[in-house]
Amino acid sequence: MESLFGQLVVLESSLVLIFGLVLLWRRRVPAYVSAFTWQSLVLGAVAITVGWFGRERELYFIGGLLVLVKGVAIPRLLGRMERRFATERELAPYVNTATSLLVAGLLVLFGYAIMRPVVAASDLPTRAGMPLAMGLVLVSLFVVVSRKKALTQVVGFLMLENGIALLAILGTYGIPLIVELGVFLDALMGFLVMQIFVYRIHSTFETIDVDQLDRLRH
Amino acid sequence: MSFALLLAPSLLSALLALAVRPYRAAVGWANAALSLVAVAGAITLWVRVLRGEVPVAGADDLLRADALSTLLALCVSGVAALAAWLGPGLGDDGWGARQARRFRIFANLFAFTMLFAVTTDNVGFMWVAIEATTITSAVRIPLHASQASVEASWKYVLIGSVGIALAFAGTVLAYFDFVTLIGREAVALNWTVLQDAAPALNPRVIRLAFVFILIGYGTKAGLAPMHTWLPDAHSEAPPALSAMMSGVLLAVALYAVIRWQAVVRVTVGRGFAEDVIVLLGVLSLAIGALSLVAQRSYKRLLAYSSIEHTGLICVGLALGPLGVFAAMLHLLNHSVAKSMMFLLAGRVLRRYGTAEIEGVSGLLRVMPWTGGFFAAGMLAVLGLPPFGMFVSEFALVRAGFAAGRPVLVALVLVLLAVGFVGVLVHLNRMLYGRPPAAVTLGESSRWALVPLGGCLAALVVRIVAIVAP
Repeated sequence: MESLFGQLVVLESSLVLIFGLVLLWRRRVPAYVSAFTWQSLVLGAVAITVGWFGRERELYFIGGLLVLVKGVAIPRLLGRMERRFATERELAPYVNTATSLLVAGLLVLFGYAIMRPVVAASDLPTRAGMPLAMGLVLVSLFVVVSRKKALTQVVGFLMLENGIALLAILGTYGIPLIVELGVFLDALMGFLVMQIFVYRIHSTFETIDVDQLDRLRH
Repeated sequence: MSFALLLAPSLLSALLALAVRPYRAAVGWANAALSLVAVAGAITLWVRVLRGEVPVAGADDLLRADALSTLLALCVSGVAALAAWLGPGLGDDGWGARQARRFRIFANLFAFTMLFAVTTDNVGFMWVAIEATTITSAVRIPLHASQASVEASWKYVLIGSVGIALAFAGTVLAYFDFVTLIGREAVALNWTVLQDAAPALNPRVIRLAFVFILIGYGTKAGLAPMHTWLPDAHSEAPPALSAMMSGVLLAVALYAVIRWQAVVRVTVGRGFAEDVIVLLGVLSLAIGALSLVAQRSYKRLLAYSSIEHTGLICVGLALGPLGVFAAMLHLLNHSVAKSMMFLLAGRVLRRYGTAEIEGVSGLLRVMPWTGGFFAAGMLAVLGLPPFGMFVSEFALVRAGFAAGRPVLVALVLVLLAVGFVGVLVHLNRMLYGRPPAAVTLGESSRWALVPLGGCLAALVVRIVAIVAP
C-alpha cells in the first residue's frame, strides 16, 4: 500500500514536470495551453491521490478546485487569447531549444541537490516527488526569463505556481485550507490582471513580443 | 476595536468608490476623511503597544500588533492619507472622472492589503496580502495608456508576481519543516508560533526556505539584482501612487523579510541571514548610488534613490540591535520623505510637462514653495541635518562600528557620497537658471502644500524628538 502510494505520486509528479518541459521545445501557443491544461489536471489528480492515501479530506476539495480553476477556467481564457494571437509564435527565444533543454536538465539536477536536506528531513511516502516539484519551479522560472512572448511568460508563471502547489501537497499534505483559498484567489486575480496587460501590450505595440518593450532604459 | 479602526476605513472607501457611479468629488472627500480615521486607528494601536499590551484579534490570533507592526501601520496609514488628500478626484486637477474613480477604488484596496499584511500574525496571509498589493497597484499604473506606462506595468506585474511566488515557495518549505518536526497544527503559520518553535526547526531546511523568501520579498522591496522593474513602475505611475509604492510598499516587503529573519536567526544562528541580507543591501546601495549620477529624469532619480535607501536599511538590519533600530528609524524617515518627494515631483511635472531634468530650470522662481520644499526634501533624502535621515544614517554608521564592521561602513559612506554628489548636480540644474518661456510663474492649488510642508516639518521634528531626550 505504502509503496503503491509512493510510486503513484512520483509517476504523477514526473508527468507534471514533463508537461512543464513542453514549453521549451514547442513554438506554438496552443501547445503551451494544452500542456498547461494537462499539467493542471494531473496536479489535481496528485492532490486527490494524496488525499485518498493520506486520508486528508481537504485535499479532495483542493484537487477539485485545481481542476476547475487551473484545468478548466484559466485554459478557457488562455484559449481566447490564443485565438486572438494565433499568428504569434515563439520564433527566436533568447535561448535556443537545444540549450534550453540542457539548461532545464541541469536545473532539475540542481533542484535535486538543493532539496536533499528537505527530502532527508521527511518521512512521508510522498517525499520522493518533492525534488521534481522544485525542478518544475526552477524550469518555469527559466521559461519566464528566456522567452519573449508575453503569453509564454504568463504560461511560465502559471506553471511556476503549479510547481509550488505540488511542493505544498507532497511535502505537507496541503497548507491550511483558508490560506490556500487566499492563494487561489490571488492566483486567479493575478492571472486576470496579466491577461488585461497582454491585451493592452498588443493594442499599444501591435505585437506581444516583449522584445519591443525597451523604451524605458534610463 | 483598534484593528477595525485601522482596517475598515480603506475597505469602506473602496466600496464607496465602487458603488457610486459616475464618480463624484464627495467620494473623494469621504475617502480623505476616512483615511484620517485609519491614522487614528494606527495611533491607538501605537499607544496600546507603548503601554506594554500586545493587541490581538480574530480567530487563531489572525491579527496581532507589536512595535514593528504598529510602526509600519503608522507609516502606511499616514502615506495613504497623504495620497487620499492629494490624489486625483478632489477639485479640478486635470484627471477625468473615470480615472479618479479607478484611483479611489484601487488606492484604497492597495492601502488595505498593505495594512492587513503588517497586522496579520499569519505569515501565509501576510504573503497573500503582499501578493495582492502587486495586483491592486499594477492596475493603476497606466492611468494614461502610453507605450512607456504599459511597459512599466507589464514588467512590474510579471517580475513582481514571479518574485513573490518564490517567497511562497519559501513559506511552504518553512511550513513543511514545522509540520515534519512538530506536527500539523492550524496555527503553524502564525509568526508567534513559528518563533517559539524556531529552536527546534531543521536549520538546513530553514536556510533554503529563507533564500527563497529573501529573493521573493526582496523583489518586491526593490533589492538589487531583482530591482529592474522598480524605476520604471515608480516613474510611470501617477504621483499619489508612486508615493505609496515608494514610500511604504517597499517598507512592507522589508517588513516580511524582517519577520522571517527573526525566525531564521533563532534556528540557524546569527550570521547566515545577516550575511545574505547585507550582500543584497550593499549591492542595492551601489546600484542605486551609481544610477543616481547618470539619471536624466527626476522621477527615475527618486526611484533609484529608493533602491539606495532600501539597501541602506538592509545593511542596518544586519548590524545587530543598534543597527536594527537605525534601520527602523530610516524606514520611517524614508516613507515620509519619499512620499512627499513623489507628490512634489508630480506638481513639477504638471507645470513643466516633462520628467526630464534638462527640461526643468528656474524651479525656485516658477514655484517658490514647491521648489523650496523639493530642495529641502532632496537634502533630507541625501541625509543632511536638520532632517531625520541624518540621525538614522548616523546611527547606522555608529552601529556599524559597534558591530566591528569598519570596512562595510567605509564602503557605505563612499557609496552615499557618490549618490550625494550626483543628486546635488541634478538638483542645482533644476532649481536655478532661467525658466522655460512656456511655463507660467506662481503656485497653483496652494492648499496642497500644507500637508507636504507638514511632512517636511515631521522630518525635522523627528530629529529633535530623538536627540532631545
